[in-house]
Amino acid sequence: MDGKEILSLDMRGVSKQFPGTLAVDSVDFQVRPGEVHALLGENGAGKSTLMKMIAGSFSDYTGDIYIMGEKVELNSPAAAKAKGVGMVYQELSLAMPLTIAENVLAGRIPTKGKIFADKKAMKDQTIECLKRVGLGHLDPFACIKEISQQEAQLVEIAKTLGNNPSILVMDEPTSSLSREEVKLLFGIIDNLKKQGLAIIYISHHLPELFEVADRITIMRDGKKIGTYNIDEVTTKSLVEMMVGRPVDDTAVEVQNKVFGEEKLRVEHLTRHGFFHDISFNVRANEVLGIGGLSGAGRSELARGIVGADAINSGKIYIKGKETKIRSMSEALANGIAYLTENRKTQGLALRISIGENILSPLLKKHTKNGIYSAKRGESDVLAVMKELQVYPPDPTVTVGNLSGGNQQKVLLGKWVATKPQVLILDEPTRGVDVGAKMVIHDTIRRLAGEGNAVIVISSDLPELVALSDRVKIMKEGKFIGELIKGDLSEESVLLAANGEGDKLSGNIYAS
Amino acid sequence: METSMQANKEKIDVRKREVGKISSIINKLGVYVLVIALMILGTIISPKFLTASNFMNIIQAVSLLGMVAAGVSFITYSGNFVDMSIPCIMAFSGMIAVDTLRYGIVVSIVCGLLTGSAIGLINGIVVGKLKANPIIWTLSVAFVGNGFMRWFYSGKQIYPDVKGGAAADVFINLSRTDVFGRIPLIVIVMITFMVLGQFVMTKTKFGKQVKLIGSSYEVAKMTGINVNKVVCGAFILSALATSIAGIFLTSLAKTGAFYNGEGYDFNAVTAIVIGGMTLNGGRGDVVGVLGGVLVIGLLSNVMTLIGINTFSQSIVKGIIFIAVVGINARSLRKLGRDDA
Repeated sequence: MDGKEILSLDMRGVSKQFPGTLAVDSVDFQVRPGEVHALLGENGAGKSTLMKMIAGSFSDYTGDIYIMGEKVELNSPAAAKAKGVGMVYQELSLAMPLTIAENVLAGRIPTKGKIFADKKAMKDQTIECLKRVGLGHLDPFACIKEISQQEAQLVEIAKTLGNNPSILVMDEPTSSLSREEVKLLFGIIDNLKKQGLAIIYISHHLPELFEVADRITIMRDGKKIGTYNIDEVTTKSLVEMMVGRPVDDTAVEVQNKVFGEEKLRVEHLTRHGFFHDISFNVRANEVLGIGGLSGAGRSELARGIVGADAINSGKIYIKGKETKIRSMSEALANGIAYLTENRKTQGLALRISIGENILSPLLKKHTKNGIYSAKRGESDVLAVMKELQVYPPDPTVTVGNLSGGNQQKVLLGKWVATKPQVLILDEPTRGVDVGAKMVIHDTIRRLAGEGNAVIVISSDLPELVALSDRVKIMKEGKFIGELIKGDLSEESVLLAANGEGDKLSGNIYAS
Repeated sequence: METSMQANKEKIDVRKREVGKISSIINKLGVYVLVIALMILGTIISPKFLTASNFMNIIQAVSLLGMVAAGVSFITYSGNFVDMSIPCIMAFSGMIAVDTLRYGIVVSIVCGLLTGSAIGLINGIVVGKLKANPIIWTLSVAFVGNGFMRWFYSGKQIYPDVKGGAAADVFINLSRTDVFGRIPLIVIVMITFMVLGQFVMTKTKFGKQVKLIGSSYEVAKMTGINVNKVVCGAFILSALATSIAGIFLTSLAKTGAFYNGEGYDFNAVTAIVIGGMTLNGGRGDVVGVLGGVLVIGLLSNVMTLIGINTFSQSIVKGIIFIAVVGINARSLRKLGRDDA
């Protein structure tokens, strides 16, 4: 790099410390004007922390940051914004009940006489912003909740562009977009690039990076591994740099699995408006997948089985015996565990430690003579943490300080520690990186291999195909059929989920 | 395997550094920094401060508050903020105890406790099962309860010596009894509550369930905890402790009146929050709450020694309350423990 070039962003030896973890460890990171610079790494590699640093979320980072050659102190979000940093977050930061215009122009609404909002100017300025993301046709005074999720994502970008940033950070901007919309977005990014914006692009979706990025920086364990031009790397080399070891890409082939006794059978289970007449069984050693589009009623079905929601009719048999399950605690008492889809609101208590979270379903077990002792569960905790390679390997660390992937491991560990006979997993690897995913899958396979039954609900097709022995396809609250191991592929599941495909057999019990 | 383990260990050592020394000290020792500071201040200010009798005075003055705070801390711990019907429970249980004195001291106390616990049960059911906002609901209960007492007793105070006959002396002396010669019964009861409270909070299944609910209600529910029952339990426990304090207060005042217990609600919250238990729930413990209670006691004592009058004292208390909440929030944020 020649010294004369003015960089849009130049971070030199920046670090950020959290208790127990050095989240970013003296990283150098440079972004040139007019380039798309991808930032890649597993969950917990320090990407988000680095980006939060740029966004001014921390007042106590160390190291120097230069923007357009000028040394800056990014101690608050306002300071970062003033220096031309624009953030587009993964989760929408729009206020739902407000109008598009109010959101896009938040903090700089044009006024008449400094008191009254100038509606005409609002309308014009908003349309101007929206045009930059190809949404010029939207009514600026429509509420955010009236437009689609995808449009909202683009409005979010428009809002950020409205502040005329020189550096634009996009964190997984395509996660909720369809293929066509991704194309549109890439067109927009290309345009912004030509205008000289520096774009930092974060994504787990590798093929996407080859389409959009010019350079790529890989991080691991808080350190920078390297920066490369996009034509210097391949998907395989990127994954290897991310996980820090050679990747064995031959899939695990399990042959001729022998299934044991029936662990759970559900007959004609119905909850009005959510799922209807659901019947299936799952046997020991078996992984049953439930596929379908989101909103098909899969999570609701799981909640119905474990008693979190009341069912209207139908029967549940555990090991052939009819059992009434009216609450989560009854489900647990019957050996059924349910890993919820949303780890942050329903899965883990973020404020307490890893150990306390893992032991939370086992409070009764570790209480003797009225005295609860976490000591009794310590070996269990350490065992699951070791198997799932939870990092840091210290049960006293607060769960909220862990990366997403490690949180998900703790969540799985919490239910594994209850030694369930039937484990229902709802999106077991949502938003986690390749490394964590592999570990989680290994544990699921081990559990199923030890004579337990596992039900996997997943929208991640490769995952569903890789884990399941057979897959039930759910659509609009009903099982529309089943795919067995030989017929399982990403394509067949996707076709079936949309109600097509010839491999789909009727809604019958397997065996 | 061996080498990879070693590599892993090295990695941890590098990462494991504590930040913000002052923040983490405040976080660990919490309120006792303040307790010690006040004691040093008191010693400097007055030679009378560092005497056994002065200390006994301080503790005696806050022992009723301590009983209340020990109980109410379970509500805070469960994430339901505070029971605003504390004064109502104290007054009501005291009045019923006085009213039933003629049937003997045992009946009187049992009736008093049952009254308080019944209010706790109602609060627990409404907040736990029907998911009412705890502040609004208990505030309403306080109003209704207060109105009921005024209506039922025609706005009059009732006196143990008029109502009680022989049992009246026993009742009045409850709060004036010394155990082991010189330690007041109320101090013993307060200390017992603190010890019991700490035990229940940290060493029992119930305590751990309350903590999980306080940390995250939804998670606790999906983990198979009967949240309704546990929240209800916390309210009953709190009301029971509060009504015991209420009976002692009535005995101390020799008067059953609807206004007994006024101010105990805010003082209890202050003690709990100064003690490091955040209103969000799931954090802190009863040892901290004891510290909070001591701070309130020491503060009044020191200010009285300096010669600050009662009205100015409450201004100082309020300012300290605000400062502590601010420092707590700041140190939690520095430690990266604010809720993501």
